[in-house]
Amino acid sequence: MSEPLPRAANLGLAGCHTCGKVSRVSLGYCPRCGSHLHLRKPNSIQRTVALMVAAAALYIPANLLPIMTVVELGDVTENTIISGMMTFWRQGAYPIALVIFTASIVIPLLKIVALTWLCLAASGKLHPSPEMLGKIYWFTELLGRWSMVDIFVVGILVALVQLGNYMTITPGPGALAFAGVVVLTMLAAMSFEPRLLWDRLEELRANPSPLKKAEP
Amino acid sequence: MSDTPPTSSPITPPDHRAARRWNIVWFVPILAILIGGWMIWRNVRSQGPVAFVRFETADGIGAGKTEVRCRSVRVGVVKEVKLAEDLKSVVVQVELIPDSDQLLRSGTSFWVVRPRVTASAVSGLDTLITGAYLELNPGPEGGEEVNHFTGLETPPATSRDIPGRRITLTTEQAGSLVAGSPIYFRGFEVGRIESRKLDITAQKVIFEAYIREEFSSLITENTRFWNTSGIDVSAGADGLKLRTPSFQAMVSGGASFGVPEGVEPGALVADGKEFTLFIDEDAAEGSTFNPTMKFVLLFDQSVRGLAKSAPVEFKGIPIGRVADISFDYLTANDDSRVPVLVEIDPSLLRREAAEKMGKADSEFLTEAVKRGLRATLKPGSLLTGSLFVDVNYYKEAKPAELTKVGEYLSIPTVPGGLENMIQAALERFQNLPLEEILTKFGTTADQTTATMAEFKDAAASIRKFTDSEAFAKLPGDLRACLAKIDQLATSIDKSVASYGPEGPVQGDMLRTLDEFRASLRTMKSLMTTIDDKPNSLLFGRDSSGNPIPKAPRR
Repeated sequence: MSEPLPRAANLGLAGCHTCGKVSRVSLGYCPRCGSHLHLRKPNSIQRTVALMVAAAALYIPANLLPIMTVVELGDVTENTIISGMMTFWRQGAYPIALVIFTASIVIPLLKIVALTWLCLAASGKLHPSPEMLGKIYWFTELLGRWSMVDIFVVGILVALVQLGNYMTITPGPGALAFAGVVVLTMLAAMSFEPRLLWDRLEELRANPSPLKKAEP
Repeated sequence: MSDTPPTSSPITPPDHRAARRWNIVWFVPILAILIGGWMIWRNVRSQGPVAFVRFETADGIGAGKTEVRCRSVRVGVVKEVKLAEDLKSVVVQVELIPDSDQLLRSGTSFWVVRPRVTASAVSGLDTLITGAYLELNPGPEGGEEVNHFTGLETPPATSRDIPGRRITLTTEQAGSLVAGSPIYFRGFEVGRIESRKLDITAQKVIFEAYIREEFSSLITENTRFWNTSGIDVSAGADGLKLRTPSFQAMVSGGASFGVPEGVEPGALVADGKEFTLFIDEDAAEGSTFNPTMKFVLLFDQSVRGLAKSAPVEFKGIPIGRVADISFDYLTANDDSRVPVLVEIDPSLLRREAAEKMGKADSEFLTEAVKRGLRATLKPGSLLTGSLFVDVNYYKEAKPAELTKVGEYLSIPTVPGGLENMIQAALERFQNLPLEEILTKFGTTADQTTATMAEFKDAAASIRKFTDSEAFAKLPGDLRACLAKIDQLATSIDKSVASYGPEGPVQGDMLRTLDEFRASLRTMKSLMTTIDDKPNSLLFGRDSSGNPIPKAPRR
């Protein structure tokens, strides 16, 4: 293998977060757009963790509280995410039930778990292989946009089904909490600095931990 | 980039550690936790207490629709209706409005308000349109909180917290008494039967009864309740008896109460006091009867017609009743008399007599028997053939003594009833002076023979008369008489002819009929007019249809 290329951080160069221009970090501000220049996103791990804790906190009301209230001829039915899914499952609409289950319950959870795992790896608590890290990060990015399905459905139903006394759908407090979960996990994924992972790998390669030294 | 040598001295490697221990971003999770916690808390707060009510059927109850009301105020809604595990009832899950925990306590009752039409009341008609709802009646204050209830199938007649006396009536025969049946005092309605149930172990029907507050002082320890349901027809020793209560009580059943005559009312009773509900007023009155003395009466005759609890009377005044008729009371095997056990309430006798009778040495009774005290069976009613025991002094009775049969004293008896009467009649027949009559009959026969001889003489003189000449002239006279009768017949014939078709009477009759026919025709046209326009009687007939000229406007 050829000698690895020098890393921009080691050269004191940083890409602007806003416009992408590479300039010296010592300048402090991007000469093109005037944004702050950082080698890495500041406090990335702390921010990610904080946002994820917030998302986890809202995940509980999101699942406990009704996300929508259906009033059908005076018959009031409150649906939580799980009860709605169970209704579909019992009616035999297994694909829909599975979609709801995946999009609304599994994906947010997976995202929280994956980001936690990445944060642990970035702060040096875990030492997974780089390929694994890459896959997990890609996965997190991929999941992000799909968890809004439920909110989307509720939004459309609330907007469309307003038939006065015959049938009315109103959003419940659970919908708000769930939207909070989705937004917070997306923000957490955004505030995560993946380059920290590779920094950690570089560090390991430079001076391997005493455990790994004994191996070769 | 070659002109920029990798000088590491001014350039610091990226700092991976957090710059500050505390970052403003941590407000976000704190806020999220606060908001999430508040949302959950609010949701929990907005959920009222939940109760589970068991009903026989969920008829008319719908999840999410059926309301729970307390005094017509909405206090909750039915959340879920499902079958109980035993599949024999339904469990209705009810969610009440927040902060209404005090509604769910032991003693709280639920029932379904549906339209009910019974003989005594019409209720819940509004539910015909609004649908059934659950009515909640809170239990007594201070009851502990419970969540599982058994709903009432029929609404209680009165609410728990309406003041009044609540008592229990037990009876062996429910009759037509149902929840809601009125309770009367001297025919005035003072309360209601609230519920009835069957106690299987005691084999009795138990009624919960409610007496209104203002009448609760009428209920005392010696109050007797009796059933006044339906029509009471009884045939006893005193004949046929027919008794009907008010029409409502006849249809829906009812109970009455009162204190029997001559009995102290006693102290007021507290709620929950148990009373016996007697089958009828007589039974209630009879319940004051307190027999303390028992006698065995041995009768030679048949006791057919003598029923248990038939009266025992002393010179027509009831003093006791027949307790039992059984050969078990006999001690000697060869005795063929029928033992009848009677109970006597000495308090119904004169006080001194009662005291003397109560004495163990029975001196009073021995003396009385010596003076002719006897028991006898007498027919109470010829129609029903029922008997009663009569105790009286019989001067001419054969001397007898007070004996003891088993553990009871036995007053001697004399034959009575129909049998006695027949016997008396036979005796009188026996005493008739038959032979004397027969002798007299013999003399009469002799006299008859003499009379016959005289009769023969008379016949001979009649024959002599018919043979005479005057008798032969008789046919001529008869003929003259017949001619006169013929004349009379002719004149009668004439007068009859005046009634015939040519006669004046018939003509009159025909004219009358004509007039009658004319008036019938008029009547017919009147009927047609009324039929076409019923109000024509009031407003007159329509005119010919020609317009009526109006007065000119000014």
